[in-house]
Amino acid sequence: MALLQLNGVTKRFGGLLAVDHVSLEIHSDEAVSIVGPNGSGKTTLFNLISGVYTPDEGTLIFDGRDITRLPPYRRAHLGIGRTFQIPRPFGTLTVRENVAIGAMFGSLGAQKRVDDALKAADERLKLVGFYEQRNRPARELTPVEMKMMEIARALAMNPKLLLLDESMAGMPPKEIDTLVTFLKSIKQKEGIAVIAMVEHIMRAVVNFAERVIVLYQGKKMLEAPTAEALSDPRVVDVYLGRESEQ
Amino acid sequence: MNRLEKFYPLFPVYFLYGALFLFGQYTKGMWQAVALAAFYAALGQAFNVFLGMTGYVDFGYVAFMALGAYGMALTVSGLYAVTWLGGGMILVGLLAAAVFSGCLSVAVGAIALRLRGAYFAIATVGVNEGFRFLLEGIKLWGGSEGIVISSKLREAFGTDGASAISTFWADVFVFLIAAFAAFLTLQYMRSRIGYALAALRADEDAAQVIGVNTTKYKIIAFITSSALGGLIGATAWTLKLTYVFPAEAFAIHYTVEAIVIVILGGAGTLMGPVAGGILYAALKYGLGVTFPGLQLLILAPVIIAIIVVVPEGVIGVLKAKVRGTALEKFIV
Repeated sequence: MALLQLNGVTKRFGGLLAVDHVSLEIHSDEAVSIVGPNGSGKTTLFNLISGVYTPDEGTLIFDGRDITRLPPYRRAHLGIGRTFQIPRPFGTLTVRENVAIGAMFGSLGAQKRVDDALKAADERLKLVGFYEQRNRPARELTPVEMKMMEIARALAMNPKLLLLDESMAGMPPKEIDTLVTFLKSIKQKEGIAVIAMVEHIMRAVVNFAERVIVLYQGKKMLEAPTAEALSDPRVVDVYLGRESEQ
Repeated sequence: MNRLEKFYPLFPVYFLYGALFLFGQYTKGMWQAVALAAFYAALGQAFNVFLGMTGYVDFGYVAFMALGAYGMALTVSGLYAVTWLGGGMILVGLLAAAVFSGCLSVAVGAIALRLRGAYFAIATVGVNEGFRFLLEGIKLWGGSEGIVISSKLREAFGTDGASAISTFWADVFVFLIAAFAAFLTLQYMRSRIGYALAALRADEDAAQVIGVNTTKYKIIAFITSSALGGLIGATAWTLKLTYVFPAEAFAIHYTVEAIVIVILGGAGTLMGPVAGGILYAALKYGLGVTFPGLQLLILAPVIIAIIVVVPEGVIGVLKAKVRGTALEKFIV
């Protein structure tokens, strides 16, 4: 059974169809990339999955439960963790406290008391190589550092599904490789399914995802194993066109 | 962090309260000024639990103090003849005060706290005036004439006892409530509640996505803050003045003063509202003595100047200064 199932999910903003009858399935410990040019509905889709928006049509099933109308915190309790395209740290708190909040309020079975959560945060921060930064106020981090912190914060929630919204954008290639290696190991060790939104970085998609879903103008245009998807002429047209010319 | 270390931040707070109390007791003619400072510090601490920790502004806050004042007044006028209760009547009154304001805060919070930021602030403006006109309109609890309990206090405690309550014990209660509010604030700060509030204060949407039931934690802070406000109303007003008049108890300027105190001292800090309350009382009282009649004209620009220079409040600045030093554990 699929961990996450979207059935004809649609979201309109006024006259704009941001997400247009999208259906998809994500299985446990699967890594999927959702790619698409700017404005193709990727972030809206994430907001629908994490509960920031509720869909106008369609249903979402997570871990066998209908979550279509659940508020974001209930979805977090069920095991959906995410990062944001534009990082949203709790700026006045330290990096360590930010991550600890994930451990305190994340998945229901794994919610921790303050002391344990701070310890768990330290472990997560060591894992992402961010331990030395733990006592800095989160607002002082660079955008790339904030993205790393958000990944640690989402992982501290002990999610079953991790949504990464452009987490690799702006990162130097070497760090992307490190992050991809790390995510693969996490995925294997903890059985977390990962969906990554990717706009530009094709190399990361290749290294990371087993499957690619291409969004174009709010519609699911293609869904295929990574290698196959990247050589599909339609994808080359809408998405790789510019890059293949270079 | 060991057991005692957790309570280090209470040391400077309780030191300030102790010093203030002794200063009032041993300096002739200063008790009323000290009582005023304790009232403002307690008010700041009670309001800080909500304003400081959530970042939400409740313009109807004084309504909760007023309801607490009524809770005490109704208790005294109902139970003064029950002689075996003795001083226990005051405890019943305090309980009634907390329950009255707590109940109103549940009703207001459950509806208004679904609104965000400014919308919440606007919604609360009406609560205060609305409740006052309701009392006066349907002539509930004495209507616009309020409740006078001086004769009942005399009947229950004798002339000397009643006078001791209104001139001394009422103020002592305010000190105790302030001390209790500080303890509670620290407990909140160190628990999941404090982290949830800090997260939602920084970014409410992100907090939700991380799993924080923001409405629940806002309501916890709101009820706590309101019940503490009710206790202050019951003691600093009803017991001290021996009456409750709706026109005074619902006076909106107390809400404004509470906001000023919290911001002066440092919103969301433990010690901020204490320092803010004492500073505010000193400025108001000092200017009233030195420039009678002109105090508000001078006070306003002084407060504006302080807030412009140190927007994070006096303790906010101090906290940043002591970061990384041995004092760090004491100033939060």
